[in-house]
Amino acid sequence: MNVLVLSGYGINCENETLHAFEVVGFKGKIIHINDLIQNPKQLYNYQVFAIPGGFSYGDDTGSGNAMAKKIMTNLYDQLTDFSLKDKLIIGICNGCQILINLGLVPSLNKKDPEVALIENKSGSYECRWVDVKVSNNKSPWLENISTLNLPVAHQEGQFMIPINILKSIKANNLIGLQYIDHHKKLAKGQFPFNPNGSKDDIAALTNQNGNVLAMMPHPERAFYHYHIPNWQSKTLKKFGDGYKIFMNAKKFFA
Amino acid sequence: MTNTIQILSIEKTGKESSLQKEHNNKSIKIIDGYFFSTNLDDQKFTKISKLISNDVSQTILTKKNVNKVLSGYSNFNWVVEIKFLPGVTDNIATTVKEIIKDNLKSSFKSFELGSTKIILIKGRKEDITKISKNEANPLIQTIKIYPFKKYLNNFKKNQFKIEKVKLPKKKYSKKEINLNISDHQLSLIGKLGIEENDKSRRGTLGLDLESLKAIRNYFSTIKRKPTDVEIETLAQTWSEHCKHKIFSAKIDDIHEGIFKKYIKGATEKIIQLRKDNFCVSLFTDNAGGIEFNKDWIICHKVETHNTPSALDPFGGAITGIVGVNRDCLGFGKGAKPIANTYAYYLADPNKKYQLYRQKNKDPMLPANFIAKGIISGVRVGGNCSGIPTPQGNVYFDDRFAGKPLVFCGTVGIIPKKIKGKLSHKKKANPGDIILMAGGRVGKDGIHGATFSSEELDPNSPVSAVQIGDPITQKKMSDVIIRELRDENLYSSITDNGAGGLSSSIGEMAKESGGFIVNLEKVPLKYNGLYPWEIWVSESQERMTLAVPPKNVKKVIKRFNVRGVEATIIGKFIKKEKAIVKYNKTEILNLDMEFLHEGYPKLNLKTSFPKIKKEKKKIIKKSSLIDKLHKLLSSPNIVSKEFIATQYDHEVQATSIIKPLQGEGRVFGNATAIKPLFDDEKSIALSQAAYPQYAETNPYDMAGCSIDTAYKNLIVSGANSKKIAILDNFCWCSSDEPDRLYQLKEAAKACYDYAVAYQTPFISGKDSMFNDFKGFDKTGKSVKISIPPTLLISSIGVVDKISHLTKITPDDGDILLVLGATRNELQDSVYSKIIGYEKSKNPVVNSKDALRTYRNFEKANKLGIINSAIGIDLGGLGIAVTKMAIASKKGFTIDLKLKNKISVDQFLFSETQSRILVSMKKNKLANFKKIFKASDYTIIGKCTGSDVIEFKDNKKIMRGKISDFAKSYKQNIKGL
Repeated sequence: MNVLVLSGYGINCENETLHAFEVVGFKGKIIHINDLIQNPKQLYNYQVFAIPGGFSYGDDTGSGNAMAKKIMTNLYDQLTDFSLKDKLIIGICNGCQILINLGLVPSLNKKDPEVALIENKSGSYECRWVDVKVSNNKSPWLENISTLNLPVAHQEGQFMIPINILKSIKANNLIGLQYIDHHKKLAKGQFPFNPNGSKDDIAALTNQNGNVLAMMPHPERAFYHYHIPNWQSKTLKKFGDGYKIFMNAKKFFA
Repeated sequence: MTNTIQILSIEKTGKESSLQKEHNNKSIKIIDGYFFSTNLDDQKFTKISKLISNDVSQTILTKKNVNKVLSGYSNFNWVVEIKFLPGVTDNIATTVKEIIKDNLKSSFKSFELGSTKIILIKGRKEDITKISKNEANPLIQTIKIYPFKKYLNNFKKNQFKIEKVKLPKKKYSKKEINLNISDHQLSLIGKLGIEENDKSRRGTLGLDLESLKAIRNYFSTIKRKPTDVEIETLAQTWSEHCKHKIFSAKIDDIHEGIFKKYIKGATEKIIQLRKDNFCVSLFTDNAGGIEFNKDWIICHKVETHNTPSALDPFGGAITGIVGVNRDCLGFGKGAKPIANTYAYYLADPNKKYQLYRQKNKDPMLPANFIAKGIISGVRVGGNCSGIPTPQGNVYFDDRFAGKPLVFCGTVGIIPKKIKGKLSHKKKANPGDIILMAGGRVGKDGIHGATFSSEELDPNSPVSAVQIGDPITQKKMSDVIIRELRDENLYSSITDNGAGGLSSSIGEMAKESGGFIVNLEKVPLKYNGLYPWEIWVSESQERMTLAVPPKNVKKVIKRFNVRGVEATIIGKFIKKEKAIVKYNKTEILNLDMEFLHEGYPKLNLKTSFPKIKKEKKKIIKKSSLIDKLHKLLSSPNIVSKEFIATQYDHEVQATSIIKPLQGEGRVFGNATAIKPLFDDEKSIALSQAAYPQYAETNPYDMAGCSIDTAYKNLIVSGANSKKIAILDNFCWCSSDEPDRLYQLKEAAKACYDYAVAYQTPFISGKDSMFNDFKGFDKTGKSVKISIPPTLLISSIGVVDKISHLTKITPDDGDILLVLGATRNELQDSVYSKIIGYEKSKNPVVNSKDALRTYRNFEKANKLGIINSAIGIDLGGLGIAVTKMAIASKKGFTIDLKLKNKISVDQFLFSETQSRILVSMKKNKLANFKKIFKASDYTIIGKCTGSDVIEFKDNKKIMRGKISDFAKSYKQNIKGL
């Protein structure tokens, strides 16, 4: 089991993302986008492709846009091909924004992006912990998980989805995660439970196969128990909720 | 054909919402615009538009659709267009250029572009002018306002233009300066800069008459005239900013100066007293380093960026944070930045100070604009760099109206050894190539080092403002840390900050002997820079490396394949000479000794200042609960949650004690990160400054700062043997004897308390002239000086995760105060908000303090302490309330007091060295084995209810926790 973790141009969560994969049993490598462009074939040595969080190109021209355009120009066919095989792709935070801009998620009909991530309703960057529930438990990434407590940290995390696309997303069961309140009910747009005003409280989307997951919260930052806020007041096991996502990737190939 | 691409977001953006809210105007819409230097044909227009926009959420404006798309805004009547001035860093434009170049490859090579913000508004012209002033800074941006119809017309007629930097083509000829002139003429050179042929002046050199005379003497001995470059270089190198002349000057009877005697002296004394020296690198490098564990070193550096932040708050602050990140990259062979810290000392954002740099013109930016800009600058700098920013604070006082203080710090980590060699040692060897990596050089920041050493006055140059580009720096940083350092491919490294190349190369060359630089090799942002400008420019995102010739090709290639420029610009030599050439003409040739040590040493005298006593204020009668609400909602105590949630403190997955603590999210005094996956050791960080105490007694002020910064780490669970501190002095009018007296007193306290606590100083920085000289709105001249401010930053190692404390008690816990409470209300928050009564200023008794701290540490390791919080601003009353808000649990507090102390004195006195703790009742017996009865007071217990009850002999006063939380979490007015 090998994971390729992408880096370069302001991506910045590659170390902790790779670490999370390694702890659950993957072998992995951080590869700079320019090296991957130089030799795209190396992608086929890996079963998982992970685009970590960060600030690729400083969010200029819209978060994830510039990196998505770079991938589109140089690696689009290889990555599309990868997504159609029995392999896994995850995009976390900035990685999510990149996958959305690439149109790999939700990937209903066409090559172009079908949904957008726009600026948080609050107008400011939001670094805070949220609760999410799993909506599409058919995705290998989210199997057997009901809820998760994870941090978000983004300026542009609000899913904007045209009505007809939203209908198809729901019909095809492509909503991965949704923000919930303290009573485990959907946040219904209420801040801070829904930190960005996302349509239908959406925190993550998948493609039709469920093997590509684009999620705004950071599972790698909720990996160990001591990552969780106020962990000293809680009885916790060794790992935090983020661990479950990485374990699911392992189980998929086991 | 068109030369502009303009993009409209379909839904209301967050930026629009905040603008609308701020100006109470629902009719505001922002358009993102790009202006090109060449015309785009239809094909290119379509292609590029698609590359830089999003089909789903945005619409591209075209000549055909513009009327239709904007029809929904047809009742809007004004358009504000904000652009960067030519030559100002435009990060968005850089990205767009890169996207276009990558995608269109050879078909569209040579073009310039600029980004712009176009705001559509409905309103009255005077309101629009006001809004636009709030959205743009005239120092770095141009604002154009025109009627909506004209905008549409412009759009259709292709009337948008990008303005390129148009510098006159200059043919450089070596310029020699005659210094054999009158003292008056000489002073003018120092104050206004070298005279150009057209009689204009280049801008301040910050050199005083004595320094210019020393330069004249040197050149008369070597029998030639100095060149302009030589004088500029000496001005940079000798600036207060670089040489810290005041700290090294003889002052009264202290011949060695206060730095050597009190700061470095303290550290040397501590190392001598302690056998377990954990200091690795002290004072000489870009940051100070201590041992983290057997394999790793951590380093810490805190810088200020005050004057630039007064002129361009966003640019000043972002440059401050990415600049101090580079100090970390330049520590030893290059440490990886793992945490940022911040501390802002600002004027009240809700007040209008209306200050002018010149009579009736050149206004200072409004206080709220400055505050917001600074907060945003560090947000963008920190977040974009992928470095967590967990630790910080903000303090408000009118005396920061003329100059805000912006402290930015970074912690880094580096393996002790790299390929068997000690990583904190570096040496540029003779023959090593001088390589400049990162961004290009422009006119930005010219004369930054010299003017930050001076007061802010009409002659402060505007080109002194730089804007950081965190992404360029991140790319460069990744190459250095991941792909070069661990192979030992370079022999030395340092950052380009104040003074630019003249400073970085000048400093590094001390390691080899000297240097030869060829300035024409330096890559430029645009043509037309004079050699002296290239040499002293403070353009950001650059590191200077000393690379052995055999590795040069490899190093350059590794930078280039990551999209980072790296250029050979000279070499280090053994001969102790500083030599700079421009197209083969030698324009600088100085002895290294003179360059670094030739400046005249100051001889300073101090005198006892008149103590400015706080004005008595009559205390209005109000209940204890009311007083608590007033204090909780006062700007210096109220929660700074809105900053903590903007600053990514989770990136790198290291945050284990977060800035917001407890379910009730209280803004903490200290935070902790766990930097390594395979070691449970963590790093605790805190900081403290008490400018409000300074005028009464600067010695005690410094004592309180050290005590608080140290205490916060002890309370968090750090090992007392592994705590180091950093000093940042921000002073005012440091040429006045009474200010120097205060400085000497504060420095003396630094020695006394650091030695008492055995916590060494490892790094520091000073900024000595934080004064504003200008005019008020009536045209009267005013001088506003900051109160002397000493920020102490503390960094410590926590050995085990189980040692980390929390601030939330559990039901049934008893509450105790460790340390005695005295009547020390003078200069307290209480005295300012509620009123002033006869009292004393807080004085630290280090012996008592240490007893408390050592005992606390012992009790905490034994698991006796359940929760703890350091007592500081607002005293015990505020600490109790914060604990209750954090835990959402109620207390009963017993106020039957001994020792003739009143209830208000007990609850609000800011007596130092105290800790509020909670513990399970059954631990009390063990606790008493450690603490003497006189060292603590049991004050109550945690009931778990939803109220805090204060009981004295007569009555019970109750306050609901949710109400306290509301007061504590109020918005700061004006922000």
